[in-house]
Amino acid sequence: MAMSLIWLRVAVLLYGVAALAVLPAALYNQPRWRHVAFPAALAGAFFHFVSLAEMLSAAHHALPVETHETLSLLGLLLAAAFVVLTLSYRTVSFGIFLLPIAVLLTIVPAFRAGHETILYVHSGWLFLHIALLLTAYAALFLSLIASLLYLVQEHRLKRKLTTSKRTWIPPLETLDQIALKALLFGFPCMTAGLLIGSVVALETIGPTFFADPKVLLSFAMWIAYSLMIFIRRHSGLRGRRAVYLSSFVFLVVLAVWSANLLSKVHSFPTP
Amino acid sequence: MSVKSNTNILLLGVNHTTAPVEVRERLAIPAARLADATRSLAHQPGVREALILSTCNRVELLTVYEDGAASEAASQAPGLPSPSALRFLQDYLNIGVADIQPHVYQYREQEAIRHLFRVASSLDSMVVGEAQILGQVKQSWSVAREVGAIGSTDAFSSTLDPLLQRAFSVAKRVRTETRIGSTSVSIASVAAELARKIFGSLAGKTVLIVGAGKMSDLTARHLIEQGATMLLVSNRTMERAEAIADALRTPTITTGVLPYEQLHEQAHRADVIITSTGAAASDPTGQIFTVSSARDLLRRRRNRPVFFIDIAVPRDVETGVNELEGCFVYDIDDLQQVAAANQTSRSREAEAAESIVSSEAASYAGRLAQAPATESIKQLLMNAEAVRQSELARTAARLAAQPLSPEQQAAVEALTQSLTSKLLHAQLAALRTPRNEGESK
Repeated sequence: MAMSLIWLRVAVLLYGVAALAVLPAALYNQPRWRHVAFPAALAGAFFHFVSLAEMLSAAHHALPVETHETLSLLGLLLAAAFVVLTLSYRTVSFGIFLLPIAVLLTIVPAFRAGHETILYVHSGWLFLHIALLLTAYAALFLSLIASLLYLVQEHRLKRKLTTSKRTWIPPLETLDQIALKALLFGFPCMTAGLLIGSVVALETIGPTFFADPKVLLSFAMWIAYSLMIFIRRHSGLRGRRAVYLSSFVFLVVLAVWSANLLSKVHSFPTP
Repeated sequence: MSVKSNTNILLLGVNHTTAPVEVRERLAIPAARLADATRSLAHQPGVREALILSTCNRVELLTVYEDGAASEAASQAPGLPSPSALRFLQDYLNIGVADIQPHVYQYREQEAIRHLFRVASSLDSMVVGEAQILGQVKQSWSVAREVGAIGSTDAFSSTLDPLLQRAFSVAKRVRTETRIGSTSVSIASVAAELARKIFGSLAGKTVLIVGAGKMSDLTARHLIEQGATMLLVSNRTMERAEAIADALRTPTITTGVLPYEQLHEQAHRADVIITSTGAAASDPTGQIFTVSSARDLLRRRRNRPVFFIDIAVPRDVETGVNELEGCFVYDIDDLQQVAAANQTSRSREAEAAESIVSSEAASYAGRLAQAPATESIKQLLMNAEAVRQSELARTAARLAAQPLSPEQQAAVEALTQSLTSKLLHAQLAALRTPRNEGESK
């Protein structure tokens, strides 16, 4: 069995521990569990990164990049987002959503390795294209969670439910900052990811790739993403309307993702 | 379980439940005189270590007696205060025994330890769970160490130093394992806590006081304590507004006055608005912030949230304002309800905290009772080892002509160690048997 697969399994185990420990830490206000959740997630992300690095260094022109492996990279990005949020805002609340998803995204490739896919040229650039777009997706997902939590916290404050057990939700302004900063971070990643993908596709396929459904949807997604940032920044949009907007863009992202089935540009041969 | 020990710890004091404020203020020792008073208590006959805790709600004398003096203190009837402590109160504070005796409580040994743990954990406070008391106990401990009334932990004989350090860790455990201090129980602190739920840190936030009143003043002070850095005051009377602004100004707080006529044009500058005018009393339609004025305020703030603390009766903020996205309105009833619910929650947490404190006190008293046995065991083992080493040296000198081979030396070493262990076994076992267990038998 490849070492990268062993490290990935260790990462899954650690993500699982962190996902469980974050529940008492956030929901039952047991701060001691933070000391389990955070180090476990950090170590999980480290082993996940090692696994990814080993896989890439072992590969020359072929990468085991089935959908599952791509999702596993998204899992690593979500775990990293949890680590960054915990360090920056002293809250483990986001772990309730991010860590179980990281486990789910990582568990399949950890126990069933994908078939190698031949990437004839530009494999480094293609990896960067995938990584940047996944980072943008992770940022958008994080922003959506922050907006949803904003809605819950706002509802609690307006209905004067402040003495209930749900004290784990961060303050409104913190949630607003996380939602906006995540979008602002994700936007350049999405722009660069799409640009790299376009240049590589132009060189290898030619201008016909612009007619590909996934490519067209991707550009629609970029426009929706940039519009969302513009509206949020310039009208101070928050609360319910911000959630509607984030949900709409997230739906577009899901559509782009599922458009792989229709895309000729994004289907790669297996040996 | 009560553990008998011979550590001679005695705690004597009065607090808000046993003595009225007239008595407490006569007994209170100002911070400037605390060092002198502690030194004086430590110099009382028979007193080995001493600490004084003096706050607005309690005055307590914690002492450890010399062995001889212990019998004197113990000979007192359980309800009677110890003579040394009373003598100190009489001499130092010039208060007659008869004046204070009805209000004094006294605890010895494990009960004293338990009481100290309760005090440090804020279970004995007027507002259960308040955090200030731990700092006050630490201050008293620090003063007592400075004046030499408490030995350091390294000093073999110190009883109070490890006891106080244990009290601090028990208090920390109570804070960590229960939510006793996590909620606010006064109107002003509830308002500040709610502001934190909206804005997170209040650093750099602006507070606007509309109208004048003790409650709005107190609430503003709480918000400033939480980090608010700008304070605006608006009142129908300009002089009154200026007086409030002056009273609340500090080197770190910028204050300003908003002319009442410009209130609606300028209110958007504030993140938190405290209103207490009761303007609607004279004119039922005269509420200061209506839905339309609040909508305008939000537009000027580009939808950034604003928190209205309406402590006026009748209310200054129209009910519908709370329905606007970004506006949060809490009136006096809302704040009182939150405070009452938090108080109930604290009481529940206090039960869990009491159980932590009791078990920690029993365990500490038990360890204290075992301490002399541990010393005896150490001494016995050291003596035995010294005898063994000296006998080995004598034998080695006698065999100097025909020295033992390394293997023989190792065998003799093992033999003597085994003999010593077996000979000491019965004595060590007797010493290690817990004292209270022996007594119960």
